[in-house]
Amino acid sequence: MPGTISKIKYAAGLTVATLTVAPPCGHAISSEARLVYARTSEVQDFAEQSQALFGEKASAISQIHELAEEYAEQNWDGENALAISPTAIQTAIDFIRLLPKDIPLPEFAPEPDGAISLDWIESRHKVFSLSIGESNRLAFAWLDGTSQGHGVEYFDGEEIPSKVLYGIKDTMNYERSLLRAA
Amino acid sequence: MSVLSSGLPEHIDDEENLARFLTSSSHFNSIMVKAAAFFPNPSDGQTSVSRHGAQPSETLWEIGSHAAGTRTLHGAAIFKAQHVREAMLDVLAKEPPPRHANITNWPTSAKDSDLERAQRKECALILARHAILLRR
Repeated sequence: MPGTISKIKYAAGLTVATLTVAPPCGHAISSEARLVYARTSEVQDFAEQSQALFGEKASAISQIHELAEEYAEQNWDGENALAISPTAIQTAIDFIRLLPKDIPLPEFAPEPDGAISLDWIESRHKVFSLSIGESNRLAFAWLDGTSQGHGVEYFDGEEIPSKVLYGIKDTMNYERSLLRAA
Repeated sequence: MSVLSSGLPEHIDDEENLARFLTSSSHFNSIMVKAAAFFPNPSDGQTSVSRHGAQPSETLWEIGSHAAGTRTLHGAAIFKAQHVREAMLDVLAKEPPPRHANITNWPTSAKDSDLERAQRKECALILARHAILLRR
């Protein structure tokens, strides 16, 4: 059975070998071979999805580190802003790692009290904005046309609060984009 | 009605334009100015703005460059005083420097700083919705 073994190098230095298998052809192919081909294809698809996901999240996490570096000094705005807090940096990274793969990644901005703002912007009238600061609670607010609101949710570092996920999905037309993709 | 040393009336009319100078490139994107750009100063709980009337944009950038100091001035968020009041905030003249004003009345919650942050974010989003990004 013809096939090639290739290696995917990840940013963290991790190297993973993947097996690429050519599709079975001809009539003298056993059912076992077809099963092996099908399973191998599934593994390959999963590896490719993981790579894409890792790449996007790695890029978002790099942006958080860049933000932390750029706004590491107090008074970065000339108006007594606080440096971005190390706790906020770690919590923001944890949050990004936990985001489901289909949720778009946010933009990041510094807030003058040392928090990091995560913004999902569909349009100037449809925005979900989340603050990650020193505490283990997430402060958020949203705009949706002429209505708006705010809330606070506890974040344990293991699961994104459902209200926050719902807010992001609603802002970014999540269900609609899934239908478009289908 | 009292007049300030800049020649402007002390009371800021609803129709007056205000400028929030932008010195962080993370505070705006191609769609809008972000809420974080309007957050108040942590030491006095107010947001500095400049009253931007019919003067030429050169004057606006001159004032902005002075305010930015050594930092890069990327642009300004322009919005009306009525938008500040729509967000249940207020804007009060505070000179010197000439044309300077502060956005005041940001929500406070001594018992819950996270709730305070969420309430302020909602106010800032209302300003962001109305603000026009003027690139330098």
